[in-house]
Amino acid sequence: MSAYAIRQLAAKLGGLLLTLLLASIAIFFAVALTPGDPVTALAGGVRPTPELIEAIRAEHHLDDPVWMQYLRWVGGVLQGDLGTSFVYKTPVAELIAPRIGISLLLVAYAVVLITVFGIGSGILAAVRGPRTDRAVLIGTSIGVAMPTFVVAIVLIWVFGRVLGWFPVYGTGEGLLDNLYHLTLPAISLAVLYIAYMSRITRGAIVAQQHAEHVDTARVRGLSPSRIFRRHVLLNASPQILAVSGATIAGLIAVSAVAEQAFGVGGIGSLLVEAAARKDLPVVQVLSLLLVTVFVVLNAVVDVAIAIIDPDSVKSRRSA
Amino acid sequence: MTTTVLEIDGLSVATPDGRTLVHDCTLAVNAGESLGLVGESGSGKTLSTRAVAGLLPAGFTTGGTVRLDGRDLASLPGAELRELRATRMGMAFQTPRAHLNPLRTIGDFMIEGLVAVAGEAPVAAYRRAVDLLAEVGIRDPDRRMRQRPGELSGGLLQRVMIAATLAMDPPLLLADEITTALDVTTQEEVMAVIADLRRHRDLALLFITHDLALAGAVCDRVAVMQDGRTIETLAAATMREDAREPYTRRLLSASLPDEAAGVRQARRSDTVLEVAGLRKAYQVRAAGRGREELLAVDDVSFALAAGGAHGIVGESGSGKSTTARIICGLETADGGTVTVKEEDWTAPARSAPARRARARVVQMVFQDPYQSLDPRQTVRSCLAEAVAVHRRIASRDEIAARVDALLDAVRLAPALADSRPRALSGGQRQRVAIARALAADPEILVLDEAVSALDVTTQVEILTLLDGIRRETGVALLMISHDLTTVRRLCDHVAVMQAGRIVEQGPIADVLDDPRSDYTRTLLDSIPRPGWTPQRRLPARIVTSGGTR
Amino acid sequence: MSIGQLARGRTPAPARRAAAHDPLLVAAALVLVAIIVIALLGPLLAPYDPDQLYAGAVSAPPSLAHPFGTDDLGRDVLSRVLAGARPSVAGPVLVVAVSTVLGVAVAVASAWFGGAVDGIASRLVDVIFAIPGLVLAVLAVAMFGKGLLAPVVALSIAYMPIVVRLVRAGARAELGRPYIAALRIQGVGSLAICFRHLLPALLPAILAQATVGFGYAMLDIAAISFLGLGAQPPASDWGVMIAGGQPALLTGAPEQSMFPAALIVLTVLAVNIVGARTTTWAEAKDR
Repeated sequence: MSAYAIRQLAAKLGGLLLTLLLASIAIFFAVALTPGDPVTALAGGVRPTPELIEAIRAEHHLDDPVWMQYLRWVGGVLQGDLGTSFVYKTPVAELIAPRIGISLLLVAYAVVLITVFGIGSGILAAVRGPRTDRAVLIGTSIGVAMPTFVVAIVLIWVFGRVLGWFPVYGTGEGLLDNLYHLTLPAISLAVLYIAYMSRITRGAIVAQQHAEHVDTARVRGLSPSRIFRRHVLLNASPQILAVSGATIAGLIAVSAVAEQAFGVGGIGSLLVEAAARKDLPVVQVLSLLLVTVFVVLNAVVDVAIAIIDPDSVKSRRSA
Repeated sequence: MTTTVLEIDGLSVATPDGRTLVHDCTLAVNAGESLGLVGESGSGKTLSTRAVAGLLPAGFTTGGTVRLDGRDLASLPGAELRELRATRMGMAFQTPRAHLNPLRTIGDFMIEGLVAVAGEAPVAAYRRAVDLLAEVGIRDPDRRMRQRPGELSGGLLQRVMIAATLAMDPPLLLADEITTALDVTTQEEVMAVIADLRRHRDLALLFITHDLALAGAVCDRVAVMQDGRTIETLAAATMREDAREPYTRRLLSASLPDEAAGVRQARRSDTVLEVAGLRKAYQVRAAGRGREELLAVDDVSFALAAGGAHGIVGESGSGKSTTARIICGLETADGGTVTVKEEDWTAPARSAPARRARARVVQMVFQDPYQSLDPRQTVRSCLAEAVAVHRRIASRDEIAARVDALLDAVRLAPALADSRPRALSGGQRQRVAIARALAADPEILVLDEAVSALDVTTQVEILTLLDGIRRETGVALLMISHDLTTVRRLCDHVAVMQAGRIVEQGPIADVLDDPRSDYTRTLLDSIPRPGWTPQRRLPARIVTSGGTR
Repeated sequence: MSIGQLARGRTPAPARRAAAHDPLLVAAALVLVAIIVIALLGPLLAPYDPDQLYAGAVSAPPSLAHPFGTDDLGRDVLSRVLAGARPSVAGPVLVVAVSTVLGVAVAVASAWFGGAVDGIASRLVDVIFAIPGLVLAVLAVAMFGKGLLAPVVALSIAYMPIVVRLVRAGARAELGRPYIAALRIQGVGSLAICFRHLLPALLPAILAQATVGFGYAMLDIAAISFLGLGAQPPASDWGVMIAGGQPALLTGAPEQSMFPAALIVLTVLAVNIVGARTTTWAEAKDR
């Protein structure tokens, strides 16, 4: 990569950092401006006395200007102090730590399914002829209308009531048992995205198959398999990668639904529970975490694409 | 004894839904010979070529026979057919930038065929690739091998493409409109490369082009195609005398006009438009050098007489279009003045009423007839809109009458008034665009490459129309063009631009028949004509990769 | 004519004739009409009061009296599904309407003015895009409490960036075409260019995005309700019903969840099919 491309890439990554900064401001201020006095929540249900109110306001620096509170919050987050849950009165970090592993495992499991079946079926649809294409088209048309909660209840019914091959509740003990328990949640999470990735992959490959540089390769007598690997798949990969990044980021949010449906105690179900109980510090930190994941994933994807296609940083700006 | 390297006999091509687009393409290319295949858009020349190369879209069917090196292509199984095409013919395309994989280096491209098809060792293939690049006149081939297509100019990419086709030492090169997207001086260089290769390698050439003058200048024989049929094949040297078909004669007179007849008398009257010291700079990001300033228009001055016809000629990146866009208020100048009828027009009009006031003086016709009309509007509603803008309180009947008059002025059948652009040919669309420009009764018509995208016979029709309109209405024409031949047909004055500056200007006969600047002379020399020998030159080009727009 | 255009074939048949040869499109359109009718008239069509407890036996399987069975409180599932159509469809309609209007306005302004306006709009869109829609909806619930209003507002904002990006790219391409320059040179006013030329040119893309957006909004809102953050029991919203019926899946009464789930899938499927076909048709018509 040329120095110029690297500078462009750095500018792009800087833009992503700015996005993260602005998103953190948005999240903080949205919560800070929430109707209702946080003191009531902090007092934990009891009607607070004026002295207690004073103590709580002082402890949480609620009398400082909002931007000071923001800086304190961000400073704390950067140093690992994620704040204190209104509901449990325990540090948010202690709530997240035991749950994050199982959520990551669930998302990773789903990502593997999406990559193998989504990209795989997309490639098959593009190269295997009209009958396969049609079959995949029908499958993906239905797939993109199958949200996690619908797949979840079908799986719970089929496997919980009728077949009984996989557990439909909880997470189990140890990695293998974890994976066994997460099979159905991962499938429910993956179905819609498999269909979506399949369509994106097929579209990207078909577009490249019709690209004029592929004509050149054909006239030069290169074998069809070589043309597919070196000219079609390679050139389709930036688009597939770009969509993958956004997809995985969205997946982490949707995993809340799968966790809820199958009783998996991950950060998704923690987020839902916190929102239901107005536990704002937890919601704030988890939202920020998900945005951070989005930004990091996009940075990784941008770098990967820039390695394949150094021109991408010049032409494919933020739009 | 001559052998035939490519023989096409009664080739037909049909679409999946049964329409026959090529009815009968018949031609033969002998060893070492160059045959031009000439036709206008829709004639079937490109489809025929693609049928030979095996590049028809899925579902297209062919009839007739194609023999390459004496072997019938239809009789060969897939792998053998691929091998035969790969080794016995090379093919270069119109748009090298689209036809090279943008993600892979020139080196990858050059070596891939040698390694994957011919089975050469990578090191040997690399050396050979460097030699081939040098053979087509590319300097510093080692550096080029590491670059990607995005870093090279169109002319260089076309040479890379040609070099790659030579890797297998094929006896035949198919060249499909290989110079159409290039400037005339670059075209000359590429044709010079081809001429050298043919001398040294005994290479046969099938040269597909819409440009009869070019084919006549570089080929031994010329086959003319019309409506899916090869209608006649002529010896290039004597085609003017030998042509029998009326279509060929029309094509000839449109492509190779009698130069002496076309020269107009320059006349001088009141100046309607005066441009003085015009300057426009763009900030460009140059690789490795940060931002720099590119002077697209640099101290440009000229005057347009009322009722006159002034041409501005230059290659891509010369700043001729930018000049036109500044005059029409589509760009803002950084310096200099634009004076129209003694009013200062340098700054673009901001408000709609001010733009309407200027619109009644200056109008513009654009290059691409496929994009210069709103695809959703019928011809009538497009023209009615233009009329209504200027006659705000006109009645419906008055507008309709005016639309009819405009259609008549551009010789468009009234029956076409309710069609949308999709249903019109390129020439018809350009007539609509001219009618729209005339709606405001302008005094100046700016023509930005207004005929470049059209077939040559259509070009002549449109130029004739414009000349007639100028005589009837007294509108002054400012014609922006890369093509000296079209400027000669229409203009009385001409300015030649290079890299943002006017290098020479004056009455058309003085400039074109007795040029004083080297650049004008180069431009004139690079026009293909009978007895033309393309020269390799390496002019000091300021813009190396594409133009500004 | 390019090779690509040739391969695509003739100009398409008029919409009505095309539809007659496309049973899938007809079926999808019928489903949509049925859903719209139910959404408008739902409660009137219901054989029972959707909230009436013990209208039949508890968790009964389908029967003549209760074609979709009954739920764990003996309410008639068919009546509840019919009554649930309105809130389940109204939410996504609102999300699509608001996000499309806002998104198109921002995108056109951004493409038209360029420069600083474009820079600020793009940055804003990047920030919103970085927060997944479901997270924004959950955040809104945490701030304003459970219910459908907060998620609908949040999703309206969350769906805007996609509209902005698509329309902005389309608008820039369109504004770069010479016919727009020709209109400016004619002296046609900016608003006239926007409403008579630019927006009609962008309409197929906007409509296509709106149908896709409707499907996703329906799924997201149902997910919020499924999570217990949106519509609250005893409302007969489809998402709520799916969650409410979940325990009965294991006791052998899958109908309580399956019927509302099937309706969601069917609606989204039908919208996607109609959207895809009309888009293809509109694009072909404009070519």
